[in-house]
Amino acid sequence: MIHFHRVSKHYDNQTALRDVTFSIEKGEMVFVTGPSGSGKTTLLRLIYLAEKPDEGNISIAGWEIDKLKESSIPLLRRNIGFVFQDFRLLNNRSVFENVALALRIRGVDEKGLKTRALDSLKVVNLRHKADSYPFALSGGEQQRVAIARAIVAEPAVILADEPTGNVDPDTSAGIIRTFKDINARGATILVATHNRGLFCNTGRRVLRLDSGNLVGEETG
Amino acid sequence: MAVPYAFRLAAQSIFHEKWINFLSILTIASGLLITALIALFVYNVDATTRKLPEKFSMMFYLKDNLSRQELENILNTLGKDDAVEMVKYIPKGEALKELKTMLKDAAYMFEGLEENPLHNSIEAKLKREAVCPETAKRLASEMRAIEGIDEVEYGEKFLSSIYSIKVGTRAIGTVFIIIMSGGVIFVCYSTVKILFYRKKEEIETYKLLGAKKRFIRAPFIIEGAFIGFCGGLLSLIGILSLYYLVFLRLSLSIPFFKGIIFPTNISLLLPLTGLLLGMVGAAIAIGRIRY
Repeated sequence: MIHFHRVSKHYDNQTALRDVTFSIEKGEMVFVTGPSGSGKTTLLRLIYLAEKPDEGNISIAGWEIDKLKESSIPLLRRNIGFVFQDFRLLNNRSVFENVALALRIRGVDEKGLKTRALDSLKVVNLRHKADSYPFALSGGEQQRVAIARAIVAEPAVILADEPTGNVDPDTSAGIIRTFKDINARGATILVATHNRGLFCNTGRRVLRLDSGNLVGEETG
Repeated sequence: MAVPYAFRLAAQSIFHEKWINFLSILTIASGLLITALIALFVYNVDATTRKLPEKFSMMFYLKDNLSRQELENILNTLGKDDAVEMVKYIPKGEALKELKTMLKDAAYMFEGLEENPLHNSIEAKLKREAVCPETAKRLASEMRAIEGIDEVEYGEKFLSSIYSIKVGTRAIGTVFIIIMSGGVIFVCYSTVKILFYRKKEEIETYKLLGAKKRFIRAPFIIEGAFIGFCGGLLSLIGILSLYYLVFLRLSLSIPFFKGIIFPTNISLLLPLTGLLLGMVGAAIAIGRIRY
């Protein structure tokens, strides 16, 4: 589903990723870990095409990134659900509208959109907050809205960048449980985190990055 | 993208940013009102000068004692010219009779006249599209070269002046209209650009969620079109008010205003013009969206 082959990325003489090669198969849930500045976010940004690699090849859900036309980028991104570190929720739209946005972009009709958005909010236990606005929610709730938005269109791949960065341990555990449930339904999930507690004893594959190098792989 | 959703986003933005939009609408309305006034002026000058060919004619005064053959030659030459529509021979007797009719209150002027001082003449009317200083000048010079023509008269300076006014007004009017249209586009451009920058984060999120360019553009284009349309509508109200409340009233006391022609049908295009210019401004403001 996600294949990196000898991928490197540099920013002004600084190497963010160096010669990284790995594969994530369909239906896997994988963690990427490492200290701050190790290249986790860059790796995710390369997957959702916010950046282009300087060297190497990337393939996502059968799309060869280096052969991708600019007009196809939105189509690729529709196969990916994102949970951003800073949530990227729109404060002038209700929780429902934030989640529904991912469906509107995909051209889903109003009726299907309402059912699916509310179902998605139910998965993250925020159905009752549908009419609230993001600024009125706690950090953990905002994180769950972001997850609801990422899963609502049932994308093939879900990327999460520090999804528990702003929440307490109980909420963290809840978020990881949600990811496992979604993964159990067939979605491929890649979670970037520096929090070792998140993947310990999960039995999931963990990729370790350090200073832009993929330094090891283990089972959590 | 569902079209109603684009309209909903545009409506929300128009309401949310009501003051900047209101000021833009007023600016556009002023610009379009000035444009409409210039257009009205050009239209009236054009309409007035368009009536000129109906009244315009050239007079060819003939030498005395021309033979019938020579007269027919002159009439044929004139009649065959592409620019000439109608040729009329006026014998000097008829001309004198007409003059006496015209000056019947000053009949004493003709007392003591032993012989007719006038010349036989030919009046030529030019085709509507051929009435211009160049054609009249060419025809005058060609005819002067013909034996038997004594003098040619056609109000050369008057025709040149009218023609210059027509061409000049059109040119200056066009330049002004282009400049004002550019100004309207610039106002829409600036407004949408500001809104676009304010929503930069939101647009970035759209892009990351897989939005196509038209999904991002549509609300801004609608907003630009709305601003332009409202500006156009206000300018239409402005020019209609000016015509019906000011020009028509003034025409009761000042005859000049009576002659003003107001093309109502064309003025209804103002809101549409505003809408189009607004869309153009918005499209330029958004520019090329990159992923």
